[in-house]
Amino acid sequence: MMRATRAAAFGAAAIMLMPAAGHADGKETIEYRQHIMKTLNEQSAALGQILSTTIPGDNTAAHLEAIALAASLALKAFEAKAPGGEAKPEVWSNWADFSKRMNDFSRKTAEMAKISREQGTDAALANVVDALSCKGCHDVYRAEKK
Amino acid sequence: MILLLRNRSAALLKLTLVGAAFMGTSLLPVNAFADDQEVIDYREHVMKTMGEQVAAMNQMRQAKIAPENLAVHAEILAVTAATAKNAFTPRVVGGKAKAEVWANWQDFSKRLNELVAATADLAKTAKQGGLAAAAPKMESALTCKGCHDVYREEKK
Ligand code: HEC
Ligand code: HEC
Repeated sequence: MMRATRAAAFGAAAIMLMPAAGHADGKETIEYRQHIMKTLNEQSAALGQILSTTIPGDNTAAHLEAIALAASLALKAFEAKAPGGEAKPEVWSNWADFSKRMNDFSRKTAEMAKISREQGTDAALANVVDALSCKGCHDVYRAEKK
Repeated sequence: MILLLRNRSAALLKLTLVGAAFMGTSLLPVNAFADDQEVIDYREHVMKTMGEQVAAMNQMRQAKIAPENLAVHAEILAVTAATAKNAFTPRVVGGKAKAEVWANWQDFSKRLNELVAATADLAKTAKQGGLAAAAPKMESALTCKGCHDVYREEKK
């Protein structure tokens, strides 16, 4: 009973402290954006196997689609200011640069998926290294934990 | 590719070396140059993608994350589900896959087909009706556990 009351009180306090962007608490917000990043990682790795010809390319278009869709969600997932995980505080202190990079990433992967649908995967993959700007952003905004 | 693929820095090198040697050699069976670990890794990339997407969708279902992008997650899930059959077609026992995947291929692939249909329907529902419409369907659409109970080995 006591515990329930305290939990309720804590809940009420947490609500008051919530950032404008949503009803998610920090831990959930961090996990959520990590689900998106890990999706990008699995799909990029699958695509990389295809590019290295160790795996046949039947699913290439689907991987490009999945990457573009996940990329389109990424900026929104970082909007709630929730420092932690592997994200550096610069994500939010340099928001204009961070969001520009994320928008570029989303736009280029969407373009790649579109080319794949309209002209085939070979044409789409011509831009793959430029479109997948993962490392450029991580070098600045991610503190990778070993 | 080095810049984007952790653990896959050899990708470009392989592309030039292995690729130049083998690509277009029509006598090779489809997976002749896919070594077994690559095949296992690949299908695990597919499965892990679905795992991440279902986890994100569950955060929304539990009201921990605002659900406005539920439909996009459902679409990623549907797109990825459709890649699973190709990924399991090469008969490579290993990873967490039981040998029954291939011994009972008819049942296994039927289950994958059902997942593809159910996730496509879920994506459509989420797009049209958002969380309210999609939530009641999630349990039945996500047949993940039913298949894992039969065909996946639990390793720690
Ligand atoms: C505009 C910046 C940006 C881009 C582009 C970007 N990322 Fe990230 N990524 C981040 C940040 C910031 C984090 C740390 C997130 C956290 O832990 O809260 C991260 C984390 C990750 C993680 C670790 C997730 C975990 O919890 O284990 C992986 C894996 C990852 N990114 C893969 C990728 C891949 C693959 C791409 C490209 C296809 C990519 N990212 C593109 C900013 C970016
Ligand atoms: C028709 C059967 C089947 C269905 C349906 C299925 N899976 Fe799997 N899954 C497997 C098999 C088999 C493995 C083991 C693959 C391996 O390790 O080689 C696996 C492995 C996994 C793994 C572990 C990957 C790793 O290496 O850590 C995750 C996560 C996963 N599945 C998630 C899901 C999710 C989420 C769904 C539903 C949206 C799903 N699966 C639907 C058969 C299935």
